[in-house]
Amino acid sequence: MLDVALVSLIQDMSEKAGVEGTIQYWARVGESLAKRMGKEAYMGWPSFNVALREGRTAFSIEGSVTALTDLAITDVDGDVVGYIYALETCVFNPTIVRIRYSVGELPRADSAVAEEYNNSVRDTAVCNFCVIHQRFREEVAKNISIADQALDCVQLANRGFTGDTKIAEDSLKKIGINPEYVRSLLRNYACVYAILMRGARLKGEEEEDE
Amino acid sequence: MAERRKGLIADNPFVDVAACLFLEDIADKQGASGMNNYLVSLATSLAKSMPEEEYATWDDFLESLVLGNSIISAFEDVITITPHCAITTECPFTKGWQEYTKRIGTFSKIHTDVAEYYNSVYKPGTINSMCIIHQTFRNAAAERIKIAGKILKIAQIAAVWEDGTRRISPDEWLPVLLEKAQISSTDLNMILRNNADVWVMYTE
Repeated sequence: MLDVALVSLIQDMSEKAGVEGTIQYWARVGESLAKRMGKEAYMGWPSFNVALREGRTAFSIEGSVTALTDLAITDVDGDVVGYIYALETCVFNPTIVRIRYSVGELPRADSAVAEEYNNSVRDTAVCNFCVIHQRFREEVAKNISIADQALDCVQLANRGFTGDTKIAEDSLKKIGINPEYVRSLLRNYACVYAILMRGARLKGEEEEDE
Repeated sequence: MAERRKGLIADNPFVDVAACLFLEDIADKQGASGMNNYLVSLATSLAKSMPEEEYATWDDFLESLVLGNSIISAFEDVITITPHCAITTECPFTKGWQEYTKRIGTFSKIHTDVAEYYNSVYKPGTINSMCIIHQTFRNAAAERIKIAGKILKIAQIAAVWEDGTRRISPDEWLPVLLEKAQISSTDLNMILRNNADVWVMYTE
């Protein structure tokens, strides 16, 4: 109910404060949630991946997340500096269905907010809810350390309720993953992102610099 | 159909927890009154965004209510034990609250403080911030429903929160409300053992 109530405010808010205002609002909600969930520390990637599987990390609040351990991200020296993770179902899917059967349709501002986010922040939103998700994950990553190293979360790909997709090709290039492979992951997952050591020297970045 | 209904009632713990924390931030800056204003406008805006309803008879309305077709029961499982007494079997915020206690800790005191503010300024019937949303929504939704040409009215009788905290209408109001609801105070106590909310529905 609270989710549908918040969404019903989006149209009004976008008309009064502009779609930029709604982006800031969702970003603040995501940021606030992540900050309040506290810090986490893990000995290494295996312990983090187990915590994720068991729903103990802040990332797990979004639902069932799978660590794709066959997709390790390595740095220029070949050391594992991160993994790719996939969220099975977007946490907002049930909300969208609830809106359909209670209010009738998503507010028009939904696509306007996503479009503005894609133009002004980064081209990774399929609907307005992506703003809260992506900001939340970025903030959560800042609160987690693995082997005393801070983390970064990078959005890679997502699929919306109506099947539209976004693939962050630049980010995929940096971590050396084929966009077509990630596209195939979207058949079974709603959102794909990378969690990696902050400041890691990635192969793709080195090649870009050269 | 049952699956769809279940999906409609279920909440979104991710958003519920995020929204609770966001509300706490609002309260830090604007106090309980600011938080209360936000909750009231949130619930009113939701009700206003939903379609209006008209029923020829009280029985038609009751059928729609119990089947979950009415906007009043869109987000909660409602049963009736008399034609005028409605019961919400489970609070729609239960899952969100459970997720909050699991991920964040004990529910911030501001959620009960704002309810005290609401009880003193509006009507004494809420236990915490979630009740404000719930009860405001119900009242605003009722204004969108006509039965035999008359606008539906709703009054809160009692609520029980997940931790067992109860809020029953003041002693001076209770006999009138129970009479309208066609239940006794013993019935009320029995209902409160395993339900979340009791309210009375009528037209004038």
